[in-house]
Amino acid sequence: MAKNKADLLQGTLDMLILRALSPGELHGYGIIQRIRQLSDEMLNVEQGSLYPALYRIEQKGWVSARWDVHDTGREAKFYKLTRSGRKQLETEEAGWDRLVLAIAKVRQAT
Amino acid sequence: MRWFNIIRDRLRALRQRETVINDIDREMRLHLELQLEANIKAGMSPDEAREKALRSFGNVNRAVDAAYDVKGGGLIETLAQDIRYGARILAKHKAFTSVAVITLALGIGANTAIFSVVNELLLRPLPYRNAERIVMLWEVTPQGRHQNTTSRGNFRRWREQSASYQSIAAFSDQRVNLTGVGEPEELSVQYATPEIFNVLGVDPMLGRTFLPDDDEASKPPVAVLSYELWQRRFGGERDILGRQLTLNNEKFTVIGVMPPNFQFHIKSRSGTGRAAEVWSILPMPVAAGASERGRFLSVVGRLKDGVSADQAAAELRTIAARLSDEAPQFNKNYTAEVLPLRDQLFGNVRRPLWLMLGAVGFVLLIACANVANLLLSLATSREKEIAVRTALGARRFRVVRQLLTESLLLALVGSALGLGFAYLGIKALVMISPRDLVSLQGVGLNLTVLGWTLGISLLTGIIFGLAPAVHVSRLNLNDSLKDGGKSESAQAGGSRRLRSALVVSEIALAVVLLASAGLLIRSFIRLQQVDRGFDTDNLLTMVVRVPDARYREDAQFVNFFNQVLGRTRNLPTVRSAGMVNFLPLYGGLGSATGFKIDGRPEPPPGQKPSTDVRVADAGYFQTMGIPLLRGRNFSDGEQREPKHVILINEALARKYFPEENPIGRRLDVAMFDKPQPAEIIGVVGNVRYDSLIDESPPAVYFPHPDLTYSFMTLVIRTDGDPAAIAPAVQREIRALDPNQPVSDVRTMNQVMSEWVSRSRFNTLLLGLFAGLATLLSAVGIFGVMNYSVARRTREIGLRLAVGAQPRHVLLLILRQGLLLTIAGVVLGLLAAFALTRLLSGLLFGVDALDVPTFTAISLLLVIVSLLACYLPARRAMRIDPLRALRYE
Repeated sequence: MAKNKADLLQGTLDMLILRALSPGELHGYGIIQRIRQLSDEMLNVEQGSLYPALYRIEQKGWVSARWDVHDTGREAKFYKLTRSGRKQLETEEAGWDRLVLAIAKVRQAT
Repeated sequence: MRWFNIIRDRLRALRQRETVINDIDREMRLHLELQLEANIKAGMSPDEAREKALRSFGNVNRAVDAAYDVKGGGLIETLAQDIRYGARILAKHKAFTSVAVITLALGIGANTAIFSVVNELLLRPLPYRNAERIVMLWEVTPQGRHQNTTSRGNFRRWREQSASYQSIAAFSDQRVNLTGVGEPEELSVQYATPEIFNVLGVDPMLGRTFLPDDDEASKPPVAVLSYELWQRRFGGERDILGRQLTLNNEKFTVIGVMPPNFQFHIKSRSGTGRAAEVWSILPMPVAAGASERGRFLSVVGRLKDGVSADQAAAELRTIAARLSDEAPQFNKNYTAEVLPLRDQLFGNVRRPLWLMLGAVGFVLLIACANVANLLLSLATSREKEIAVRTALGARRFRVVRQLLTESLLLALVGSALGLGFAYLGIKALVMISPRDLVSLQGVGLNLTVLGWTLGISLLTGIIFGLAPAVHVSRLNLNDSLKDGGKSESAQAGGSRRLRSALVVSEIALAVVLLASAGLLIRSFIRLQQVDRGFDTDNLLTMVVRVPDARYREDAQFVNFFNQVLGRTRNLPTVRSAGMVNFLPLYGGLGSATGFKIDGRPEPPPGQKPSTDVRVADAGYFQTMGIPLLRGRNFSDGEQREPKHVILINEALARKYFPEENPIGRRLDVAMFDKPQPAEIIGVVGNVRYDSLIDESPPAVYFPHPDLTYSFMTLVIRTDGDPAAIAPAVQREIRALDPNQPVSDVRTMNQVMSEWVSRSRFNTLLLGLFAGLATLLSAVGIFGVMNYSVARRTREIGLRLAVGAQPRHVLLLILRQGLLLTIAGVVLGLLAAFALTRLLSGLLFGVDALDVPTFTAISLLLVIVSLLACYLPARRAMRIDPLRALRYE
């Protein structure tokens, strides 16, 4: 089981959270589920690392948070991408694409 | 935006820790529940689902903590935690904390007090506009006397020929009698050329200062008052401007009042010994001849921008050289010098002050070493606690930070108490500071001083906190946990060496301070033992100054003073009375001039012999106890009318009449407009007039009719307390002239004591610091030995059990202490050899490497530390072997 799971590269968590939030607002649990779905169950973000990252991103102003009633009837904290968060996502994804491209080229060359 | 969010979150986290944590907690709990439900939906049993959900979460508390750290727990929160914890530790070890805090407070308090003086005198800008541009201009006499006043003629030429100054002014302080408003009072007046206030760059508070043409003879005389005089004598009334002031029976119109605390006083060169309260115009005669004679002007100038004091000095020397050629009869071989105002005012206290600051710095270092030692003992006894914390996951950095927080906390508490000590210390300093030292009235705890205190306490906190912190960071976990801190581990051995090194340095520092203090004390004693040439006990002195304008004829002055003396001699308990114009060691300058011996060839200009000149009566020598060595004293007739006779002192007789009898020879002393030789009728003993340190220069004494002064200092020898006769003498003087004030009523012992007051001040302070240093290092060595005995209880018990005598144990401990002491003393002596040279200017009659002093203080320190070792050693002696061994 562990074999078909990918390890998270340092620094990519922020990008994944931002990407997960880009369709609309979500709470913490939802973010993890979304990442799992999108990655075909290959990426499993630990709650212990999600929240510190989420708070850091919130402080940077890339997401905004508010308490609202969850569909189960309980209160949940929902996160939403801000305009600067969207910009940040673009920057990070562009950087990531360049990196992947570069690595691919290096691998083909050898 | 980003930093704003961070700060907002951090502040919120700090203020509402509970809410923030609650928030995080709520969020995570929901997360957990959702996960749980998902797991159940996936078909797990409730227990399995819960366990799995929890596992996926990791440690819930840690997750909350990590999240909280981001939210702002981090730095500020842990700092608050560290401080709370540190405070708890310090409160738990009360004895340790009080000793450490008091030690630090003493060190920091002494530093703050001395620094406040340094700040006031050496660092703070002088109260004049761009004061660093202000310089003093002086002549240097052919005899090499520096800071000599100049003549009006030379001042005029300096002003015309120099290009270095924006403006330049001459002034002279004189005492005058103020009459017409209430009691007559003697005031100090600064007669100055009109530019003086431009040079100083100070504006009046009320009215105006001098205009450039105020010095024209046709203008009515004007005066500017000090704020203090205005308040004291005129009740601060606004209509003071335009009012008349009677000074020495002459009318002056008040044109302005200076702001509070304004003063300009060159103490060492002032003829009045106190700051002026009135400024008036210095008369500058137009006639050439009259302005050459008499060198009595001080000169102050404001440098042009871009001109340095050195450049100005070079220019002035050139001018002086030219004047020496142009007017050799007045200026032959005179040179000149320029001195920045700050050097002028505080040059003589700069070195002692820096020395004192260095000394208290040493005291503080000793205090730091002591506290470091205490902290080391504390850290060693906390080894286990710290090891446990490390084992539980505290990072090393975190532990070191905790310890540093504790020492900074100690330092801050110490400095708070230290500020209290400093406040008292400053009060005491101002109280005991010599009158002739600069004014310390403005010294206090201001912002600069507080900043300094905060700075040094943080620095000390780091210095003494570093040793234990580093020690702990090297701790070997396993060792500490295993042996529970009962026996000496390898680390403890390292810490023992560190502690020994600290004690050795403490003792070395104390040696340096004691050596310096010892040298000063010996100098002070030497100074007291100098043969001053007269007998100081039971002598009262007072100055009587008759306004110049009151009498026309010299004979009237002579008559007045003779009457005063006659009445004084008839008072009960008065044994004898006399008078002299300048009292020995009165704190100001006397007069001196060149002379020529009749019948000997005229010496070339610039090589004229020179002599001090005093005016005295026959009673002066009897009253002061100055012996008549040859010839006779002044006769009654010679004290009523000019007969052209003089007395000379032994120094003059030795220097200029080594082989012959001076009696009957005639000297032409250049005190008169035309040559006026006077016959030597006697030789009297030498008297130290200007200084106890320098040998007495040659001196001649004129009787009053020959050289008439409008002021005289009365000297009165009494049976019993001399001060008690003062009111009676003043009554007699009032009876002669109700408008006649007297001033400077002092016993001769007071005069002497003021003269040595600076030396006493330095000695007292340094002695105090050295005593403090000795005490602190004694405490230090006591602490180390005490700790060592506690650690070696088992070993000593064993020794006693196998038959060692208590005596041996005593010697064992004393030897250990003695070794440390000797190492410290040797190191300290080496440092002292290098450093006491700095004291050389303050020493008198003692070499900077005085062997008896160094021997004595070494012995003193050895004895003190043996005493400090004795208590621990006695404790060691009384160890019960059985209990010591069971203790394991």
